[in-house]
Amino acid sequence: MQAFILAGGFATRLWPLTERRAKPLLPLAGKPLLAHLIEKIPAGMPITISTNRVFAESFLAWQKETGRDDITILIEQTTHDDEKIGALGAVSQWIERKTIEEDVFLLTGDNYCGFSFDSFLEQYAPGTPLLAVHDIGEKERAKAFGTILPAPDGRTVAAFEEKPPLPKSTLVSTGCSVLPSSLLSTLCLFAHKRPDNIGGLFEEFLRRSITIEFFAFSEPWFDIGSFEAYLEAHRSIVGENLLLTGNAVCTSSKTEGAVALGRDTVVRASTLKDVIIFQGCLVEDCVLEDCIIDANCVLKGIDLTGKMLREGTVLTRK
Amino acid sequence: MRYKVLLGIWLLTDLALFVGTYVLAYFVRVGWIFSSDFPFGSFLKVAMIVAPVWLTVLVLTRTFSLTRTQHSFRNGAYILYASLIGVAFFSLTYYFLFEMFFSRLLLVEAFFFNAAGTWIWHIVYDEVKRLLLRRSPPAFPTLIVGCTREARALIHDMNAHRNPLKPVAVLDGHRADEPLIEGVPVQGKLNKLEEVLEREHITHLIQASELEQSINLISACRLHGATYILLPSVLGVVEEEGTKRVTHLEGRPVTAVSGAGDLWTLFFQ
Repeated sequence: MQAFILAGGFATRLWPLTERRAKPLLPLAGKPLLAHLIEKIPAGMPITISTNRVFAESFLAWQKETGRDDITILIEQTTHDDEKIGALGAVSQWIERKTIEEDVFLLTGDNYCGFSFDSFLEQYAPGTPLLAVHDIGEKERAKAFGTILPAPDGRTVAAFEEKPPLPKSTLVSTGCSVLPSSLLSTLCLFAHKRPDNIGGLFEEFLRRSITIEFFAFSEPWFDIGSFEAYLEAHRSIVGENLLLTGNAVCTSSKTEGAVALGRDTVVRASTLKDVIIFQGCLVEDCVLEDCIIDANCVLKGIDLTGKMLREGTVLTRK
Repeated sequence: MRYKVLLGIWLLTDLALFVGTYVLAYFVRVGWIFSSDFPFGSFLKVAMIVAPVWLTVLVLTRTFSLTRTQHSFRNGAYILYASLIGVAFFSLTYYFLFEMFFSRLLLVEAFFFNAAGTWIWHIVYDEVKRLLLRRSPPAFPTLIVGCTREARALIHDMNAHRNPLKPVAVLDGHRADEPLIEGVPVQGKLNKLEEVLEREHITHLIQASELEQSINLISACRLHGATYILLPSVLGVVEEEGTKRVTHLEGRPVTAVSGAGDLWTLFFQ
């Protein structure tokens, strides 16, 4: 089996944090979101990460840092949102160009999955697609995802609907699945017609009467697609803690909720509540709440609530 | 560079204009002769001394600012005010230097010629300046952030009045449906900000929506040395001119929006 991680998006909703870095490389609890996924993939499984040309360098730099040589960075020749080849298009292109003949463990790079991949893969029955699903709790929230309707056997999928206006269940697809090698040709055929509709592939499987199994989990799962989702994931994973990465320093300050400081960041005489501060920042005499501060920012004497600041922002009150 | 040269020419021609209008007033009043009772040399000398003072007053009223509309009544009022100061300085300087007064009508005529001449010349020069500053490549390529109706109306007016700030690109937080807004290309979402700022050599950024991104847009402008401009409508301020204004509160610049606009509000609140 080979793992394939989709990381080719431009993440425009998370601008300006994604101005120079892909969403999967955003820090979450002190390490890139992607690292949380990679750590859970069983050792020995080759991993391919698909990204676009704009973010290629940052992925290559990250790969060097990990020191893992079983990771391949596959670079799509796209530089803009409107040139995207689509998530399914990227998988299909990889399968066709590399003549992949093994089962594929497909993951989306901007999702945080709290469950064990070992348990997930243990449930995989060769030849039957397996989909990880999470009970999101509210039908209103389910509208934004692909939802499944479980069959009476409690093991297989009876129906799959991509972003339904009236969801029939609160079980949502999490972008984590196993696609058997026998169905890769079906995937490629479908990808030629609908390159950006990864959920549609499962609808296509059901149309062709192909059985899909699901793996339901209750551990945390986050689709980090927006400022709110990113902060929610941060709060859930970091908890009521102050997380210092590398040589980050926080002195004479009051912290509340989840606070994560990147390496080389210095915080002095400030009040922070539910804040993520990336590397190399200097924060003095500030009150920050529900904020995400990108790298190398300098903030002095500033109060901010609910803001994302772009890299290198300097706000100093004299 | 183009703007600095044009501004330099403008300032120099204004100095010449001041002296010229005073000389005209002299000859109109005295007759087309060099009077021995009222020496032209002394008169010219004082006009040349006062000209820079008058120009300084004009500069302080921001009459030469890039975005000032020269034919507006407000601008006309500033020019009248500067001309009044000019006449007052001229009278005082002449008295201090030569200990004598002269025809009061000459002062009235000098004031009239100076104010009218300056305003007309400013309107003419502004038109020429706008034409030259917008010639390709524009001297002040401007980026509009937001595809709102306000943005559309603004771009229309800027192009119709040949504003020195020439809109060259539009970015939107959400994907705009149209490829062009009033002939200006929509180049994508905010993730293209850095690229557009560099490629188009943006000198001014006008924010017409995306209030939550104002700090990031200001930050980008600072890094690129561009000027950031915020439309009041982004803050929800849609009142007519007069009820909204930039003022000061304990020395801090603030944007104020008043209720019903009357003279009391306009001048005393």
